[in-house]
Amino acid sequence: MQRNARKKFTALIGIALMTGITVVAAPAQAAKKTTITYFSFSASPDHIKTLNSIVAAFEKKNPTINVKVENAAYADYFTKLKTRIAANQAPDTFELDYQDFVTYADAGALLNLGTVSAKDKSFNKNIYYGKAYDVFAQNGKQYGLPSSYSTVVLFYNKDLFNAAGVALPNSSWDWSDEAAADKALAAKLPSGTYADFQPVQFWEFYKVLGQAGGQFLSANKKTALFNKQPGINALNWLVSKQTNGWKPTPAQMGTMDDGAMFAAGKLAMWHSGIWEFDAMKNVPFKWDIAVEPGGVTPGNHFFANDVSVSSKTKNADAAWKWAKFLTSDASSVKLMIDSSWEIPATSAKAPLAAYLNSPNPPANRQAVFDALKNPVVPPVIRQQSQMQDAVNAWLSKALDGSVSVTDALNGAASDVNAILAKE
Amino acid sequence: MRKVKARGEYLTRSLLVLGALVMIFPFFWMVSSSLKNAAEAFATPPTLIPKAATLVNYRHVTENLDLPRLFLNSISVSVTVTIIQVLTSAMAGYAFARLHFKGKKTLFLVYLMTMMIPMQVIIVPLFIEMRQLHLLDSLLGLGLPMVVSAFGAFFMRQAMTGIPIEIEEAALLDGASHIRIFRSIALPLTIPALSALTILAFMSVWNAFLWPLVEIFSPEKMTLPLGLANLQGEHSTDWPMVMAGTTLAVIPVVLVYIGFQKHITQSFLTAGLKG
Amino acid sequence: MKKDSRVASVLIAPSFIPLIAFLILPMIAAVTLSFASWDLLSPIKFVGFSNFKELFSHSLFYKSLFNSLIFIAGYLPLVYFLGLAAALGLNKKFRGSNLLRAAYFLPVVTSWVVVSLLWKWILNPDGGVVNSFLHVFGIHGPGWWTSPTWAMPSVIIASVWKDLGYVMLILLSGLQSIPPEYQEAAAMDGATKRQILFRITLPLLTPATFFVIVISLINNFQVFDQIYLMTGGGPDGSTSVLVQQIVKNAFDYGRMGFASAMSMVLFAIILLITLAQLRLQKRWVHYA
Repeated sequence: MQRNARKKFTALIGIALMTGITVVAAPAQAAKKTTITYFSFSASPDHIKTLNSIVAAFEKKNPTINVKVENAAYADYFTKLKTRIAANQAPDTFELDYQDFVTYADAGALLNLGTVSAKDKSFNKNIYYGKAYDVFAQNGKQYGLPSSYSTVVLFYNKDLFNAAGVALPNSSWDWSDEAAADKALAAKLPSGTYADFQPVQFWEFYKVLGQAGGQFLSANKKTALFNKQPGINALNWLVSKQTNGWKPTPAQMGTMDDGAMFAAGKLAMWHSGIWEFDAMKNVPFKWDIAVEPGGVTPGNHFFANDVSVSSKTKNADAAWKWAKFLTSDASSVKLMIDSSWEIPATSAKAPLAAYLNSPNPPANRQAVFDALKNPVVPPVIRQQSQMQDAVNAWLSKALDGSVSVTDALNGAASDVNAILAKE
Repeated sequence: MRKVKARGEYLTRSLLVLGALVMIFPFFWMVSSSLKNAAEAFATPPTLIPKAATLVNYRHVTENLDLPRLFLNSISVSVTVTIIQVLTSAMAGYAFARLHFKGKKTLFLVYLMTMMIPMQVIIVPLFIEMRQLHLLDSLLGLGLPMVVSAFGAFFMRQAMTGIPIEIEEAALLDGASHIRIFRSIALPLTIPALSALTILAFMSVWNAFLWPLVEIFSPEKMTLPLGLANLQGEHSTDWPMVMAGTTLAVIPVVLVYIGFQKHITQSFLTAGLKG
Repeated sequence: MKKDSRVASVLIAPSFIPLIAFLILPMIAAVTLSFASWDLLSPIKFVGFSNFKELFSHSLFYKSLFNSLIFIAGYLPLVYFLGLAAALGLNKKFRGSNLLRAAYFLPVVTSWVVVSLLWKWILNPDGGVVNSFLHVFGIHGPGWWTSPTWAMPSVIIASVWKDLGYVMLILLSGLQSIPPEYQEAAAMDGATKRQILFRITLPLLTPATFFVIVISLINNFQVFDQIYLMTGGGPDGSTSVLVQQIVKNAFDYGRMGFASAMSMVLFAIILLITLAQLRLQKRWVHYA
């Protein structure tokens, strides 16, 4: 049936050939050098030069391999990647983030790297930070090499805290400490300046749920569990920040996003990712970070990106060499850290020391690594976007008060269960 | 009586000028934002004229993008495609407006039908077709699907039906062929419409995004909108830099508009003088 | 008649051949896909009518369709009459008229990315230009794009403002194709300005008007960019429109088949409306 369908489709496209358009033959490629393509989203727009330097270093070491880099902004990347995979034109190597990875792995779009890594005697998976390496395995097969990872931390504006006379956050805070600070700050801050910003959406909720001691899905990924008591506590905590006036409403934010507000000195605390360090390098106030406050238990995000190889590639060995170089070679890692791109998923200590001792803020960079001690790995299913959209729709209803927290979670759970039934 | 007329005219013009100020505002705001530093761009209340104007955003754009290359690609595709599109639209428009042939109504409907499906669902089949034709990642493959526009054919059909039919009937009686009438009567008499279509066609090709996004892989073959899209980061966007890039991208369209507007007015005047 | 057919094929072929190759063929493929399940990553599976069955029991589909209709009902009359007013006002040449025309056309060339940011700022509930202005008169302005009631009007206002110059350009080219002798002759016969406008200019403008209405309906049933950028379909789904659902399903949700099925229904609706307009045009469109 499937094969038949495919044939019909090919036949349909075949008609295109009969409309009288001349077929232009592709120029024959010189056989000497192998050219592989690499498609990336994280390089745009600021790190394209860094990526090109890494390519240059790789090509110097591997003179028979050419790497052709293609870039797209994150917002457009997956449309392009999916179209190319659909037409059997996938790039040889490409970047994926953890939440999208499962969809591609399940669909058979990714090469099982075990088949090539076995031939590479110099390869040892311990060169990677273990957690980042392991998440890119599916059913015991490795489908990607981890390129970077990131966590979410609590950013705070020291100047605003000091002006309000409130004690600075530290990494042992829990929700009650944060709430007390929110309350104290809100009483002292000038109008238009807010105590706290924590988004109310899927990516925050799953983690706060973890901090509340709850679970998002059952172990077999068949049922939603987030509408139990821990979920209610978690969402109440998130929503209370807005209802108490600690967090700005969308109307109060206007055209500014949370990053712009923090940069403008209008937020005392801000829950955001370590990828914002570079953007906040030159703000005109002092700021630092702490590990995010926990609830009944600490809990932190864990995000990771990888480099995967297309299952259709004709140059698996060259692709493997490039993926390994990009994610783990000392020169590549150094270039990434020097340009403050992302944290390479290496287990080596020396390059990370450079990261820790960076002269740029924040001073407490140790918090980035401390946050890794209690990771809450996000729930990931094949129909990821649908699940996220369904949950987000209900969370925003709870936030604007049109339904109660309990009803919102029950509504979201029933939508998610319907999605899970189709997995 | 004359005074009343003058006053009415005065009122209309004032309204038009007022409207124009409202219309021009975003453009002004875009240019102004492109000259601001990051802190000022998001200041509340916003400043209309930058306090400390800077060209740093334009420098960032030129650092991040190979602008000459992007402009060259965009201009070569837009100019070629616009010329072909206007020409084929005028031809089809004349046929639909003036000729009698079997199945005309159905054929015209088929043209219109091609505008009724969102590009997002036909893009993957089109991409597969281009693969079969070995035209992926090429400016030719980028331009081909845009050389024809049902919009243009419909637009020219409407314009050509507006030509007084007596002129053509006289020419036909004199033994002129339809091709000749098309060339020496229909085209000259629809210059305002042809100019308007040129502007609209150029603008739509110049701004085309979704098809170029999937069709072009190599940075050196990208068009301007693709380059600009790459200025947006995964987590945050440098808005003043995007404003600078967008300002640069708008300039050619405005130039085309002003160029062809002049043309419309001129042809209008000569037509008036003749009459 | 026979001769006409030969000339017609010569004139039509240059556009019809590319039309078949690059639009109609992919459209046929899309029709086929509406009977399939395809995530773009794994092989296509044919599933019969199940996409359509799901579609008609999908509450979001009806809601999006309804929102698309609301958008058009608000947008079309406004953009047409304001565009017509601008075209009539700028049809005559006077000092600075070219400059004014260019001014009205500027929003058309400015990208939605910029325009949506600007309008969110103008219509910002707290401290936005419009609400600050209303405040002077003691009026407490609405929540605009943050309120489920006002989000759609906000999008409509921004869209009318952006497209007005487009409608003006088309109507202006129509006005300029009207031989001035017609109006001059009427004026000589003692017709008032109002009579000339309603008895001569507007009837002669009906082909251009017909074009604007048909095209606006076809395009705006497919409205997407401004909604995606201004409200993302929110708040609470109040601005969610059909094409947004189509785009989400096609690429985000890996449901190209379902997206194609939605497009087919959208196609059928637009086609019916266009057919009705083509039928009715004889009653009001004045062709020379």
